[in-house]
Amino acid sequence: MIVQRAIESVGIPTIIIAALPPVVRQQGTPRAVAPRVPMGANAGEPHNVEMQTGILKDTLKQLEEIDQPGKIVPLPYEYIAQI
Amino acid sequence: MSLEKIDGLQSEIFVPITPKPVFTKVTKPLKDMSVAIVTAAGVHLKTDTPFNLAGDTSFRAVPGTAKDEELMVSHGGYDNTDVNRDINCMFPIDRLRELADSGYIKAVAPTMYTCMGGGGDVKVFTEKTGPEIAKKLLDENVDAVVMTAG
Repeated sequence: MIVQRAIESVGIPTIIIAALPPVVRQQGTPRAVAPRVPMGANAGEPHNVEMQTGILKDTLKQLEEIDQPGKIVPLPYEYIAQI
Repeated sequence: MSLEKIDGLQSEIFVPITPKPVFTKVTKPLKDMSVAIVTAAGVHLKTDTPFNLAGDTSFRAVPGTAKDEELMVSHGGYDNTDVNRDINCMFPIDRLRELADSGYIKAVAPTMYTCMGGGGDVKVFTEKTGPEIAKKLLDENVDAVVMTAG
């Protein structure tokens, strides 16, 4: 998150895929998306190419669409790890 | 009963304060963007030095052409089971390459940057690690960054 802010502040737009949206909000994320995933599979279920592609495409779409700092957009993907 | 007010009185308990917003506007369409992944998930090349699991402020560079089997994770702060099965869970490099091949984005940036988040020396991350990674991305003309962490 510190690194995200550092990159954003030199003029490169960034977006973070977060498993813990309250944490990234508190730490001042410029832009975030939050699929329903556990920490450790932020970008989607292992070997689920469809889900991973969907999350990444929607993340990039939100990079363009989010127009104010600190906005966190939920994404409609769910993965529950079997532990 | 009236409450007594004392100017400048502070809590003894450290309360993290959300820093001021930073924001860079997007100025070009996705199809014209070179995109990098930057992650705090502890991903690195197997040939590279692992992160120190007790706390590490260094970062690693991973070529945009790196294959799954050349990558691994050193991170003591989350369950690595899923990412050990499929690196794309935290480092969606195969998916990013597919989006470049299909024209959704222009290109995968030459280099991805990785570190081990979830702790460590916040001051060093703020003053050194973050700015160093940002400068490298600028030098490599990266248009946008997707991150995984948190």
